[in-house]
Amino acid sequence: MTRVTFITPDGNQVQVEDAVGSLMNVATDNDITGIDADCGGVGSCGTCHVRVRPEWLEKVGKADALEKDLLDLEENATECSRLSCQIELTDEHDGLVVEVAGR
Amino acid sequence: MSQCPYHDPFKEARREKPVMATEFDGEPVAMLIGLKEVRKAARDHETFSSDAPFRVPIPREEDVRTVRQYPLEVDPPVHTEYRKIVEPFFRRATKPEYIEKMETLVDELVVDAVNRDSIEIVREFAIPLQSRALTFLLNMPESEADIWIQWGTHVFRDESGVSKGHEMEAYTNDLFDKAEANPGDDFFSALTQAEFQGRKLTRDEMQGYANIAFAGGRDTVINTISMVIAYLAEHPEALDALRDNPKLVTSATEELFRYASPVTHLGRMCPVDTDVHGVKVEAGKLISLNWAAANFDETVFDDPETVKLDRRPNPHIAFGNGAHNCLGAPHARLIVRTLLKKLSQHAASISITTAHRKVEKEADYERRNAFHTLDVTIEPRDA
Ligand code: HEM
Ligand code: FES
Repeated sequence: MTRVTFITPDGNQVQVEDAVGSLMNVATDNDITGIDADCGGVGSCGTCHVRVRPEWLEKVGKADALEKDLLDLEENATECSRLSCQIELTDEHDGLVVEVAGR
Repeated sequence: MSQCPYHDPFKEARREKPVMATEFDGEPVAMLIGLKEVRKAARDHETFSSDAPFRVPIPREEDVRTVRQYPLEVDPPVHTEYRKIVEPFFRRATKPEYIEKMETLVDELVVDAVNRDSIEIVREFAIPLQSRALTFLLNMPESEADIWIQWGTHVFRDESGVSKGHEMEAYTNDLFDKAEANPGDDFFSALTQAEFQGRKLTRDEMQGYANIAFAGGRDTVINTISMVIAYLAEHPEALDALRDNPKLVTSATEELFRYASPVTHLGRMCPVDTDVHGVKVEAGKLISLNWAAANFDETVFDDPETVKLDRRPNPHIAFGNGAHNCLGAPHARLIVRTLLKKLSQHAASISITTAHRKVEKEADYERRNAFHTLDVTIEPRDA
């Protein structure tokens, strides 16, 4: 089982136990503030932007070139930015902490 | 998957430079045609301003409306405040009750369409669907759509290009009078009650919001619907693929928006003399953000002229990019997703009997964009 923690733009921490599927789906299923996911998870809208805690970046992986392009011009994007719809959760991700960028 | 019947008119120009010097309304326009350049410019409102009433749309619109459109034709920071006022209405499209209403509406229209011998998609399907769906967004009685259906594809110009924008302005002005006298829960009432910087909105501001709510979501949605249906007619395997894998609907929706790119381009004004990738733009003159050209940028999209219903990531900008990105996008996405779902449920195949394409003939290019008319027959699934 995989537990993930979202830190929302208003500073709240939301923990989700038994997270499966894409990180974006986990966020929308749990009404995480700041994840609108307008395009439904196909990497078009940029409204599922999270910053992965640096210590998790290696396991989660960095954005590939196309995803980077999308994130490049997002306000408050960093090295650790990812589109949460492009992250498929596995057991390896148990304990993952991400900050929701919001708009 | 199959080749789209689309010829990207900006392909050669874009291979040379991300900008094309052209003209509209007898004025020079520096048109950005590369995806990265368009995105970047869309996010730089200081250099490329939307504070240019009637001139964000190209060609300019003084002849068809008397009011500045809100929040389209203002820059941040005040744009943020104007946008916040109407955002809750546009976000309604993500709510379960709204999604359910859309399902019911599209189901009814699709079932009716498959049961006819033939149907003209623009007038008999897309316009009623667009109009009735808009009642959900504006929270108006569905019967109000009967009036909007009469307006045709464009609210601003009749088929011969003559302005009729005053009709819509008179209609919305009347709605605001009624809302002031007897407020309800609809979009117009909300605007009459809204607070902006500690004051009420002026009637011109209200009219500006109403104007784009009707104009911005009209031909865009109607054109998308006809493009989607023509695509499905020309690619029968797509209906099967959607049936076999309903999850394909979300990525197919984005890909069809990329392919259709119903808004070709929009303008921005340079407040000072500006060098735009080598093209000199004088103070007060326009650049254009060409979303359609950007969406076929081969440095970003693999094999851009091919429609790949499972394309992801798909960083298209059919809905714009940055602060002004389309408020109506959740609503438009819901329409197309629901349409794909219902057509794959009820239609075995679609065939085109006659099609009359729309062509944007400009000084330096011609772009085919959707259809004036599209006659089809739809084979029901269980027949
Ligand atoms: C396929 C359908 C649609 C497409 C392709 C589309 C495209 C666009 C684009 C490209 C922009 C960016 C404007 C800019 O950067 O200057 C925009 C903005 C806007 N659209 Fe849409 N649109 C669609 C549907 C709708 C609908 C259904 C509505 C309303 C009912 C709507 C209302 C608006 C509004 C209010 C804005 C201004 C947002 C702002 O300035 O902050 N659109 N749209
Ligand atoms: S949900 Fe749209 S980019 Fe991730």
